[in-house]
Amino acid sequence: MTSRRGFLTGAAGLAGAAGVLAGARPGVAKPQPMAPADFAFFGEHQAGIVTPQQLHTYFAAFDLTADKREDVAAVLRAWTAAAARMSAGLTAVDLGESADQPPADSGEALGLSPARLTVTFGFGPGLFVKDGKDRYGLAARRPEALIDLPRFNGDQLIPARTGGDLAVQACADDPQVAFHAVRTLARLADGVAQFRWVQAGFTSGGKAGETPRNLMGFKDGTMNPATTDPALMDATVWVGDEGGWMRGGSYMVARPIRVALEHWDRMKLSFQEQTVGRRKLSGAPLGKTREFDPLDLDALDKDGNPVIPENSHVRLGAPAANEGAQILRRAYSYDNGLAFIAERWPPWRQGMQIDSGLLFICYQRDPRTGFVKIFENMAKFDMMNQFVTHIGGGLFACPPGAKAGRFVGQGLFEVV
Amino acid sequence: MTPSRLTLKLLAACLALATAPLAHAAPTQGFLETIHKHVTLASTVTDNGDLNPYAVVIAPVSAGKIAKDDVLVDNFNDISNLQGTGTTIVDYNPATKKTTQFAEVPRKLAQCPGGVGLSTAMTMLKSGWVIVGSTPSLDGTTRTKGDGCLLVLDPNGKLVATWSGPTINDPWGNMAVIDRGDTATLFISMSGFGLPGPDVLDPKTHYPVIVRKATVLRLEISIPEGKAPLLVSQTVVGDGFAQRADRDNFLFGPTGLALDKDGTLYVTDGLDDVITAIPNAVTRTDSAGTGRVVTQGQLLQWPLAMAWSPQGHLLVCNGKNGQVVEVDPASGKQIYAQWIDSDQAQSPPGNGDLFGLAMTPDGSGFYYVEDDMNTLVKAAPR
Repeated sequence: MTSRRGFLTGAAGLAGAAGVLAGARPGVAKPQPMAPADFAFFGEHQAGIVTPQQLHTYFAAFDLTADKREDVAAVLRAWTAAAARMSAGLTAVDLGESADQPPADSGEALGLSPARLTVTFGFGPGLFVKDGKDRYGLAARRPEALIDLPRFNGDQLIPARTGGDLAVQACADDPQVAFHAVRTLARLADGVAQFRWVQAGFTSGGKAGETPRNLMGFKDGTMNPATTDPALMDATVWVGDEGGWMRGGSYMVARPIRVALEHWDRMKLSFQEQTVGRRKLSGAPLGKTREFDPLDLDALDKDGNPVIPENSHVRLGAPAANEGAQILRRAYSYDNGLAFIAERWPPWRQGMQIDSGLLFICYQRDPRTGFVKIFENMAKFDMMNQFVTHIGGGLFACPPGAKAGRFVGQGLFEVV
Repeated sequence: MTPSRLTLKLLAACLALATAPLAHAAPTQGFLETIHKHVTLASTVTDNGDLNPYAVVIAPVSAGKIAKDDVLVDNFNDISNLQGTGTTIVDYNPATKKTTQFAEVPRKLAQCPGGVGLSTAMTMLKSGWVIVGSTPSLDGTTRTKGDGCLLVLDPNGKLVATWSGPTINDPWGNMAVIDRGDTATLFISMSGFGLPGPDVLDPKTHYPVIVRKATVLRLEISIPEGKAPLLVSQTVVGDGFAQRADRDNFLFGPTGLALDKDGTLYVTDGLDDVITAIPNAVTRTDSAGTGRVVTQGQLLQWPLAMAWSPQGHLLVCNGKNGQVVEVDPASGKQIYAQWIDSDQAQSPPGNGDLFGLAMTPDGSGFYYVEDDMNTLVKAAPR
C-alpha cells in the first residue's frame, strides 16, 4: 500500500527522475504509519448514514452503461476497495511508480487528512430494471421498498438532475477530499458507469452538538431521531429482516431543492418564523422558548387557530402529524452560482438569481413509510413551498456495510 | 390557513374600526366579525398538475359522482402554471374530507374557440348538470386568448354540450343563478370582447390599454327530463364594463355577480374597483349599461367573486390584497374587511391569491380558494 505520505516520497522521486518539477526536493518525508480511519469503512452498516455529519459533501449519481453484471460487480469491488483506502487517508489505489502511465490517483488529496471521509453507495431502480429491461438479471431481487418515487405536488424535476442507477455520497470535513473521492470513483468506473448528476454541498460548523443552520437561516434537523439510540435507528433507519440482502442497509432519498433566497430574504422575521413554525434565533417551536422543547401541535390562540400554523413546515414534518413516521435527515446546503430562474409562485419573479438551496438527503428503513408518507402532505400544504422547488433527485437502496474482503452490495450479486 | 393571519387580522380589525367608527354602538354590524377560524381543507391540485383554483360551487343535490354539499373547485392553469389552460374540476366532500377529481375536459375542443381554460363561471343545477365557462389561452396571456365557451357536464363529469357564439366571449366571473328545476336563468360576465394582449400598452399610462366592451349576459335554459340542458335565449343585460389585460392576473373585467331577491344584479368590476347594480336583471330586455354605482374604491381592491351573507350583505374577494370586503348593498356602505389570505410572500399580502368563494350550506361560514397554496379553505366562527 502506498500511503499519501509515502506517495509523496515516490512522486517526488519520480519528478526528480523525470526532471519535470523544477525545484522538487528529493524525498524528505519519512514513511508515516497509516492514519486510522476517522470512520471505519467496513462494518455492519455503511458509514455516512448515522455518522456524525461532516462539513462537506460531494454527491453523484451514475448511469450504468455496462451490458454485463460482472462488470458492474467489478466496479463495486473496485469502488469498495478505493473507498476503504481513501477513508483511511490512502490513495485510492496502489500507485506503482511508472512514469509511463497516468498517475493512478489524481493526487489532490495527497498530504491531506482524510477529514472524516465517508463514502456511501446506493443502488437506484435502474440497476434492476431500466426502460423495462432486466439488464443484469437482478430484477427479481429489486426490493419492494425501492419504489419509483411518485410525482409530488409542485415537483419540477429536471431529467438531467433526476434518477441514476448508482449513487455515491462522499462526505468529509474538507471539500477537496470529498471531491477527490467521487472524481476518483468515477474514473474507476470508466466504461461501466458515467456521471448523471452531481451536487456539492456544505453545512455550517457551529459548536459540537448544535443543530446546523440552512441557507434560510433556520436550524435544520432539530427533530432528527437520535443516532445514539441503536433501537431507534433499527426502527427508523436500518432495514430489518424484511429486507433480504438489504438487511442492515437503508434507503436514501436525495433531492436538490432550489430555494428562492432573494424572495425569502424580503419576508418579515415573524412571517419567516410562522412559515417554519420555529423561532429563527433560538430554534424553539412557536409558543416555546428552547430549541428542543416539544412541539405543542394542539396549542390554540384565542380564535381557535393553531399557535404553530397548520401549514407550517415543522408541523407538517412532525412525527405526530405523520402517524409517527420518522426519517434521518442529513442535508447539505448548496450553491451553484447564478442562473436565470423563473419563480413558480406569486410574484413570479424572473431573472438572474442565486442558484442555491438544499441538497436534501434522508435515510429511512422504508421510503413508503418514511419520506413518501411525510412529503406527500408537505408537498401540498407546506407554506415553505412558496420558496422552495424540488428540481431533481432520486431514491437509492444503500446496502449494508461490507466486511473486509467483500464489496458493498455483494449480497445482491450472490445467489442469483 | 396562511401563517400570520392572526397578525393581519388585527390589522383588518383596525381597518374595520377606521371604516366603521360607530362599531361600539352596534352589537353586530355584519357577518365577517363572526369569522375567526380559517382551516385548510384540501389541495386543489389534480394528478395532471393543474393549478390556480378559481370557482367555488356548493352542490345543491346528490347526483352522479357528487354528493349534496360537496364543494366543486375548478383550475384555471395547467401544470406549466400558464393561465387559461386548466381543464379539471375537483370535488371536496366535507363529510369524508376526501378530494376526488370530478372532471377533466379535453384541452382542445373544436366547439370551444381557443380551447379550454376553466374560469370562475361555474354552477351546479338541481338537476345535476354542471355548467362551467372556458376562458382559454395558449401562452398564459390574453395575447393568445380564444373566445371560449360554456361547457355542460353531466354529474359524472362527462362533457355533454358546448355553447359558444357571438355573445359568449371569455365567461369569467362567478355566475348568478335562478334554478327552477326544469328551467334556469344564468347570469355570466363576459370579459373578453376586444381584449388585446398585455403588450399592447396605452402610451399615456404605460399600462395595457383599457377596453370597455365587456358584458353581462343572461341565459335562459330549459332542462328536459333526463336530457342535457338547452340554451333557449340570451339577453345582454349590462355592457360597457372596463377590461384590461394583465400579465399576472390574466385580465381585469366584470367578475363577481350576485342576484338580489328583487331582481337587482350586482356586478364587480376589478379594474374600476366598483360594484354596480343592474335593475330588473331577470326581466329586462335591454342592457342597463354598467348600471348604478353602489360603492367604489375604499376597501375594494380589484374586487372579484361575490356571495351573499345571511344578513343580505355582499362578501367580495379582493384580488389585490387577500381581503374579503363586506358591503351592505342597500346603503352602499362598505362595512369592513377581513384579511383572509394574509400570505406575506406576496405584496400586499395575499395579492393574487383569492378568487372564488361560496357560503357554507348552513350559512355560518364560507369556502374560498387560495391560489398561492392551491388549496380550498373554510372560514368559520370561533
